[in-house]
Amino acid sequence: MEPREELLKRLVAEMPDPDERGMYCHVVVKDEGPDGKPRTETKPIDKDKIEKAVAELQKRGREAVVGLVGMLVEPLEGDDVQPIKAKYALHVLGLCVSKMTGDDARRDYALALASQLGAERSKGARKYIIQELQAFGRKEVVATLGKLLTDADLCDAAAMALVAIRDGAVEPLRTALGHAKGACRLAVVQALGALADAGSAEALQKALGDTDREVRIAAGWGLANIGAGDATGALTKAADACEGWERIQMTNACLLLSERLVAQGKKDKAKVIYAHLRDSRKDPSEAYVREAAEKALAAN
Amino acid sequence: MTEQRLKMDRRAFLKTSAAVAAFTIVPRHVLGGEGETPPSESLGGALIGCGGRGGGTFGELGKNVRQLAMCDVRFVDKADNKLYYTDFRRVLERKDIDVVAIATPPHWHALISIAAMEAGKDVLCEKPMTRFIAEGRAVVDAERRYNRIFQVGTFGRYGAIKSDRSRLTHKIMRSGLLKNCQGVHIAKGGLKVAMWSGMVKAPPQPVPANLDWDMYCGPSPLRPYHPHRHGGTHRGYWDYEGGGLADMGQHHFDPIQWIYGKDDTSPVAIEAYAPPAHPEAGAMWGWVELTYADGLTFVMDSGEWGEPYSRKKDRDVNLEDLAEEDRKKVQETPDPEPFPTFPEAVKTRRKPGGHAEAAHRCATLLHLANIAIRIGRKLRYDPVKEQFIGDEEANRLAYQPMRAPWHL
Repeated sequence: MEPREELLKRLVAEMPDPDERGMYCHVVVKDEGPDGKPRTETKPIDKDKIEKAVAELQKRGREAVVGLVGMLVEPLEGDDVQPIKAKYALHVLGLCVSKMTGDDARRDYALALASQLGAERSKGARKYIIQELQAFGRKEVVATLGKLLTDADLCDAAAMALVAIRDGAVEPLRTALGHAKGACRLAVVQALGALADAGSAEALQKALGDTDREVRIAAGWGLANIGAGDATGALTKAADACEGWERIQMTNACLLLSERLVAQGKKDKAKVIYAHLRDSRKDPSEAYVREAAEKALAAN
Repeated sequence: MTEQRLKMDRRAFLKTSAAVAAFTIVPRHVLGGEGETPPSESLGGALIGCGGRGGGTFGELGKNVRQLAMCDVRFVDKADNKLYYTDFRRVLERKDIDVVAIATPPHWHALISIAAMEAGKDVLCEKPMTRFIAEGRAVVDAERRYNRIFQVGTFGRYGAIKSDRSRLTHKIMRSGLLKNCQGVHIAKGGLKVAMWSGMVKAPPQPVPANLDWDMYCGPSPLRPYHPHRHGGTHRGYWDYEGGGLADMGQHHFDPIQWIYGKDDTSPVAIEAYAPPAHPEAGAMWGWVELTYADGLTFVMDSGEWGEPYSRKKDRDVNLEDLAEEDRKKVQETPDPEPFPTFPEAVKTRRKPGGHAEAAHRCATLLHLANIAIRIGRKLRYDPVKEQFIGDEEANRLAYQPMRAPWHL
């Protein structure tokens, strides 16, 4: 029986080599011609060869995933193409398991990947794993991803993956909101807004007073996305008080909140916001906001 | 565009003109004589994304637009926040900017278009309109919310509407009388697949001093820098675009979509023939077949990988496809109105050709095709909900999260 490590290497070697431009456009074959002289040929990427090798990898389950992760070396330097091939194989394996009937193979793949998010792996490898989980992970990996929300190098990627996964993602984000700092706090606030988590409305309302402009804007957008009717006063007040880019964004959040309220059947609350924007945006440079509010009032 | 012209904003222009007028003969361009634009009709313009197509796109804004600002992430060494900017947000804060031309890589198209409309500007944006499906719907919403003019800078439909044959097909399709459409449109080649692929082997390099790389990456993941990831070759990376298919597809399919009357809907079934896709770099594919609910089929056949498409043959839609009594109804239908150009649309507030909904539906064709290539299985799509049916992985590519602080 072929040793495990050798088998993995052999299957990874079946993935295409990057061509002369460093791309996966064709396969460059260098061999000897019938005349004995060296020759270089280009052939199309061999779909069947790739899929056959990945099917073999899939049969090895967790062992293959862990082995492939072990081959991810970042940053990619020198002539060694094994990390490039392993990266590709890992993704094609994800595509393969996500196609299968039932969810067990995909779940096992995601859990095996998540188990490799420990500090022993490089940041580059961990970013790649998170990216794969963004594509193929589900509820089973949200707790693991949540632990990365305070890591300055990984929190953006983790927050994006959680937003993509959605199911079960709110809990770890709410937990992280209490202690995430700087860029991680921004990523968490934005993710809660993107997930329209009504349970975070109070925390987002507090974040309207944050010292970081981007956090304030993300909080305003989040409240709007949630359709947080109780935040109407706080949001219009915040929008009135700021200038420039922040005012543009907060004013838009007011209009978005109104649309969400209309969709919830709370037209009266929406009209309060529209009327406020109509009456408060007097400067000619904000005539378009006034007109937008008037149009919405007429329609509702 | 001369430096002198660039440096003069609208207020400075009026102030200077007024001062000069007090002591001299009023120049013709102030009064707006024949062939000249009076200042009251002159608009302040900004170009965001100044490489490649930038100058050409700005020119499409119209002759009455004065260029007051230029913004590019490569202006770190010369940004003065008066004429040259690296941060588009500062451009959009300016009250003297009325119209904006956007010629950045596509991962910024939707965000800047939306932000510009939120700031009260009209927008002409380069193709492809978006990087993923959700972005397009957000642009449509912003256009509607603020009653702004938005157009994607691909103009094939302006030519299509002049053709008798195209107008007839359009009227047949829009009549609602054709229940079982047998039309097949095959776009063969011209989608620059190998040309606009991405590198899978791209070792990190130092970021050039004049480039704001974080801002360049924007809503996409912050990757190690490599020169192939920007400056035109960005097209090969899912982070920024969708390969030659996305880059050329809007040119090919914008007129076709109009001819076949599909500006307000999308295909319901999509199937691709391609090797397994790389997660970051666009690469080879053979063909994609997209079928609408009425049976109309669009095919993209790259001609660059694998066996050519052979399932169906090109087939026009004809009057003979209709029952005899219905043919007369179609023939009596008035021709569609010509599309306003961008400058006409700005002036009249009528929607131009390639307005947000039409451009979004066309960009959606490209995204559906690319997602089918990337996922590697047959997909079903709900064109009303704008979601894939029963395919979580495909939906994640249609609705992608963004890196903070950027959001739709």
